[in-house]
Amino acid sequence: MTNGIPYATALEQYEPKAERPLPDQEMSGEELRRAYHPDHYADSIVELNVGTNKGDACHRQLADILQADARIDEADLAGAPIVETDVLVIGGGGAGCAAALTASRGGASVILATKLRIGDSNTVMAEGGIQASIEKDDTPQMHYDDTLKGGHQNVNKDLVAKLVMNGPDVVRWLIQQGMQFDLDKYGDLLTRRAGGTSADRIVYYRDYTGLEMMRVLQEAVRTSRIDVWDYSPAVELLSDELGHCAGAVISSLEDNRYKLIKAKSVIIATGGIGRLHLNKFPTSNHFGATGDGLVLAYRLGARLQDVDSFQYHPSGLAYPQHLAGTLITEAVRSAGAYLLNGNGDRFIEELQPRDQVAAAILRECAEGRGVTVDGGGQGIWLDTPGVELREPGIFDARFPKLIELGKKSNIDPRKQPLLIYPTLHYQNGGVVIDENCQSSVPGLYCVGEVCGGIHGRNRLMGNALLEIIAFGRIAGNHAMETAPSHKHKKSSIEHLSQLRRELTLANMPMDKQGPALFPSYAKFENDSDYGGLHKTTQVES
Amino acid sequence: MGEQAEDSGRSGDQVNLTINGKSISAPSSLSVIQALWHTGYPRVKSVGCLEGVCGSCRVMVRRVDSREVTTELGCQVLIEEGMQVNFLLFPTPTHHRYQLEEINSSWEVQGKFHKFFPEAEMCRHCGGCNQTCPKGISVELGVELASKGRFEEAGALFIECVLCNLCQTACPESIAPNHVGLFSRRVSAYFHIRPSNLINRLEKLRKGELEIIK
Ligand SMILES: Cc1cc2nc3c(=O)[nH]c(=O)nc-3n(C[C@H](O)[C@H](O)[C@H](O)COP(=O)(O)OP(=O)(O)OC[C@H]3O[C@@H](n4cnc5c(N)ncnc54)[C@H](O)[C@@H]3O)c2cc1C
Ligand code: SF4
Ligand code: SF4
Ligand code: FES
Repeated sequence: MTNGIPYATALEQYEPKAERPLPDQEMSGEELRRAYHPDHYADSIVELNVGTNKGDACHRQLADILQADARIDEADLAGAPIVETDVLVIGGGGAGCAAALTASRGGASVILATKLRIGDSNTVMAEGGIQASIEKDDTPQMHYDDTLKGGHQNVNKDLVAKLVMNGPDVVRWLIQQGMQFDLDKYGDLLTRRAGGTSADRIVYYRDYTGLEMMRVLQEAVRTSRIDVWDYSPAVELLSDELGHCAGAVISSLEDNRYKLIKAKSVIIATGGIGRLHLNKFPTSNHFGATGDGLVLAYRLGARLQDVDSFQYHPSGLAYPQHLAGTLITEAVRSAGAYLLNGNGDRFIEELQPRDQVAAAILRECAEGRGVTVDGGGQGIWLDTPGVELREPGIFDARFPKLIELGKKSNIDPRKQPLLIYPTLHYQNGGVVIDENCQSSVPGLYCVGEVCGGIHGRNRLMGNALLEIIAFGRIAGNHAMETAPSHKHKKSSIEHLSQLRRELTLANMPMDKQGPALFPSYAKFENDSDYGGLHKTTQVES
Repeated sequence: MGEQAEDSGRSGDQVNLTINGKSISAPSSLSVIQALWHTGYPRVKSVGCLEGVCGSCRVMVRRVDSREVTTELGCQVLIEEGMQVNFLLFPTPTHHRYQLEEINSSWEVQGKFHKFFPEAEMCRHCGGCNQTCPKGISVELGVELASKGRFEEAGALFIECVLCNLCQTACPESIAPNHVGLFSRRVSAYFHIRPSNLINRLEKLRKGELEIIK
C-alpha cells in the first residue's frame, strides 16, 4: 500500500469551509485517464484467444470466465424436466421486468428466471435518477450530444438516438406502472443536472429512484401472468441445429437440479459484473453481478464490444470497512460537494466525467496525499459539511438515504466529511445489439447493463435506468412479435463441443468453469445447498 | 492500489456469536453476512444488494442481556459479542393477482381495492406487522388508511419499504400489508401524476417536432 495521511490525523486537520478555490490543473483529462484509470493498468488487459472476439482486448478477469469450460455436459441433462414457453427472460432486474411485462401483455407466454429473488439487482440500488429530456430549455438532441460526448464519441449512434427519443415515454410508462416521482407544487416533474450534461434532465424519486422503480416493476410482474422462477440461475443456453438460441438450462438453487426451458425467443438481462472485483476493487454492485450473461451469450457466438472498459464510480465509501464500496450518489457532487485530499486541498473540478474524477482520486492516493485507514483502505474526503454550510438543511431534505448511511457508519455527513475511494460500478461494454436488442445470434436478445454500444467507454448518470426501460420494452415487444414465426426446435448444448475444441486447440486451461454465478467468497461451490448453513458445510481454515 | 475488495481481512475486536446455531468468531467491523463469509461458511441465499434496499437478508437477532428477539436485515447488522442470529427463509411471494388497467377510473379504486385485497378489512390490530418491520414503518396504520380509501396517505407511509415481506409473514390474517402499501402507492401515481412538462414534451414528440441529427 502507498503512504498517505492517517485517518485520525487527517480528520483532525480538517476544517469545514463553505468555499475553497480549485488550484490550476496540470494534467489534461486524457493524461489523467491514461496514467491512473484502472482500464489502463499494466497487465489488466489481455487478448481473447477463442470465440467471436478472438484477438480483441478484454479485461483479464473477464477473459478468464469467457474462456472457461462450461458447468455442464450432456450427462447432467439426462432426465432433466423440460418446460416450453414463447419468451424466456433471464434476469429479474429492471430490464428483465420491463421486457417480461411487455412480452406478456402482448400475448406471449413468458417465463422470467432469475438467479436469486426478482429485484435483487443493480436496479434496486440506483439512487440518482433517470435522464429524460422534458424541460423547455432541453431537447432530445442535447441529450444525444451529451451522451456522445460522455462516451467519448465511441457509441452506436442509432442506439443512442433511440434511447433519447424514448426518454419522455419511458417516464410516462413508469408512471403508468405506478411509479412515483418527485414533483413541484404544481405537479410538474422536478429535474436536476447530472455530471457532464448541458441541461437539467434527471427525474428522480428522493434518493430512492431505483428502489421505487424496482418494487413497482416487481409488483407488476408478480401480480401478472408471468411465470417467475426465483433462485434459478441460467448456467447455459440451448442451441438448435443451426446454432440459433433455443432456450436455456437453469440450475435450481432449491433442489440442485437442472431444468431445461425451451423458448422461441430468449432475452438475457443479467446486468453487470462488479462482483468479479476487477483489479481487486470494491464494488457498488449487488451480489449477483458476476457477468454471467456475457459468458452465456459469448459461448453461443454472440459478439461483444468494449469488454476492456469499466466504470469506476468516484465516490464509493472507503470507511467504515464493512460498508466499503457502497455508493454515494453523484447527486451529492451535483449539489456542490468538493473533493479534498488528505491535506484539505481540492485537486479536480468535481463534475468532470466520472472516469476523469476517479483517475484524479487514484492519483492523489498514489502520490501519498490520500487518507489511510488502519487495517487496510484509503481514500480522499467528500466535503459534505461544506455543502451543509452553504445550504443548511439540504441533506435532510434531499438525501435521506445518505443520512441513514451516516447513522450506520457513526458519521454525521453534515458535520464530518466522508472518506471515499473509486468503486467498481458499471460495465460500459457488453453484448453487441441492434435497434431491436437482437444479438448476432438469431433468437437471442440482450438488454440492459449486459449490452454494449450505448454508453461508449463512459456512462453518464441516469442513462442506465433509461436504457433498461427503453430497450427492455423494445426487446420484450420484438421477442413477442417474432415468437410465432419460430417453432420449438430441436434444442441441445451441442455448441459446447465446439467451445471445448477451440479451448483445447488454443491450449487454454480447462480447470475453471463459467459462468461464475456468485463471487468466490460466498463459497457457493462448497455448499450449494438451498438451506445454506444447514447441511454439510466445510469450513476452510 | 485497490486492496479494498469485499473478501480482504478486516479490523476490529474479535467477537463470538452464533449464526444458525454455528459458533462463529469474527472481527466486530463485519456484518452478519460478512462474518459468515469471513469464517468460510457459505451464504448465497438471503443475499442481495448488500446495501439494505432489497429485503432479501432477513434475520432474527437476539442480543446479550435482552430477551427481545428482533427482525432485521442481515447485511445491515454488525455482529456483537454473544449475539444469536438466525436467517429466515424467504416466504412465497404474494398470491394477489391484479392489473392496474382493471380499474377503469379513480372513482373505482376503493371498490377494486377491496376486491383485490378482501382480507384487508379483517385487520385485528395486533400490531405484529409494526413490530416486525426492520424499517420502522407504521404498517398497521397503512392498512387501516388504505381500507378507508385514503390511498395517498397510506402509500406515503411505505416510502422506505424494501419488500422484505416480514410483515406479511407476521400477519395472522394473511393481509400482505406491504402489498397493500404498494398498491396504494401505485394507484396514486397511476391516477394522479400528470406532469405538464412531461405531457408537453410527449405532445411535441408525437407531432414529430423534435428530431435527432446524427
Ligand atoms: C449503487 C448503484 C447506483 C446506481 N445509480 C444509478 C442512477 O442513479 N441512475 C442510472 O441511470 N443508473 C444507475 N446505476 C446503474 C443502473 O442501476 C444499472 O445499470 C441498471 O439498473 C442495470 O439493470 P439491469 O436490469 O440490466 O441489471 P440488474 O438490475 O442488475 O438485474 C440483473 C438481474 O439478473 C440476475 N442474474 C444475473 N445472472 C443471472 C443468471 N446467470 N441467471 C439468472 N439471472 C441472473 C441478477 O440476479 C439480477 O436480478 C446504479 C448502479 C448501482 C450499482
Ligand atoms: S413494510 Fe413489510 S415488507 Fe416493507 S420493509 Fe416493513 S416489514 Fe418489510
Ligand atoms: S399483522 Fe395483520 S392483523 Fe396484525 S395489525 Fe398488521 S395487518 Fe393487522
Ligand atoms: S442484502 Fe439487500 S437488504 Fe440486505
